[in-house]
Amino acid sequence: MTSEDDLKMLMIEGLRGDGRAHEELLRAIAPILTAYFRRRCGSGGLEPEDLMQETLIAIHEKRATFDTSRPFTVWMFAIARYKLIDAYRKRKRSPPTEELSDILAVEGFESAVSARMDVDRLLGFLPSKQSDALRKTKIAGLSVAEHAETSGLSESDVKISVHRGLKGLAARLRGEN
Amino acid sequence: MDTENLILQLGADFEPTDSRFVARRLFVALAVGLGSALVLLLVWQGLNPDLANAMKHRFFWMKAGYCLALGAPAVMSVARLARPDGKAPPIVTSFAAPVVLIAGICAVELFLTPSSQWLEMWLGHSWSACPWKVLALSVPIFIGLLWAFRAFAPTQLRLAGALAGMSAGALGAMVYGLHCPEPSALFLLTWYSLGIVLTTAFGALLGPRLLRW
Repeated sequence: MTSEDDLKMLMIEGLRGDGRAHEELLRAIAPILTAYFRRRCGSGGLEPEDLMQETLIAIHEKRATFDTSRPFTVWMFAIARYKLIDAYRKRKRSPPTEELSDILAVEGFESAVSARMDVDRLLGFLPSKQSDALRKTKIAGLSVAEHAETSGLSESDVKISVHRGLKGLAARLRGEN
Repeated sequence: MDTENLILQLGADFEPTDSRFVARRLFVALAVGLGSALVLLLVWQGLNPDLANAMKHRFFWMKAGYCLALGAPAVMSVARLARPDGKAPPIVTSFAAPVVLIAGICAVELFLTPSSQWLEMWLGHSWSACPWKVLALSVPIFIGLLWAFRAFAPTQLRLAGALAGMSAGALGAMVYGLHCPEPSALFLLTWYSLGIVLTTAFGALLGPRLLRW
């Protein structure tokens, strides 16, 4: 099973009306998109995070244009590339022009997604409070204060969870417990 | 905004989608656009009073066939461009076939007609109005396609605009054939084609502005 298959399966389940699968899909592609934009926003004042969110919205709004007989990642990067070009156009700069096939080759999305799946699996071994803190602060990119506020924990509590979570992961990777 | 909140919001606003969404929406757009063009023709120009008779002749069907042979591949190509990863097929060849065929019929026509009548055959009675009327009749169809594309995700805006213009022009010209009494292939090849070229050019010009999302 490749990651393209995983994403496509989530997409198809989403199209059939499974909102959970749709959310899971958006969550899985957010870091891929951020990495894609970060690599291409060197100068020009473009924010990779903003572009990623804009692309998530576009993927959500335009989901009916996905042809289920074709690869998902090609469709996704076609939208990302369009949003990038559009953002450059708005700032009257010339965008980097690449063909979709180049993007797919450079992004190495397969390894990125499978790494993400590995992280998900590892986090699954931790207590939910710790894995949640790690997800929010280390993957989603929230600050400790932001996560503390949304989860209703104190900041020191979050810091401790992150610390213990990382220690737990390290132990797991070294093959202890 | 925090990405997780965004995702939850998007997931909350969620309905299953129609798996044939693109085809259905295009069909509705074209049906309504064609219907409106037909009404416009009836109100503005009226049918060819001799239509029943005209339909017995091959000229009528030649005109309709030529427009359809240009319009059908244009519609199929523009349908591909509705998707972000869609590529238009190599369409030049499918457009060349009807043009070459009609050009062949023109050659036969010219051969059979004394050269003193060539100019009349070429210009007919309505050459100066024909391309503009084709353009006018294409407008409702073009608007229909623009409406359809608002929900699509084209990424090649100029090409999509040109092909939408061409689809609208060819179908508009087909509707115009119900009024136009000109019975010559040379007339068709020149003035109908000019009308379709005009709509294609307008489409290419407007595409990047009107199809953005």
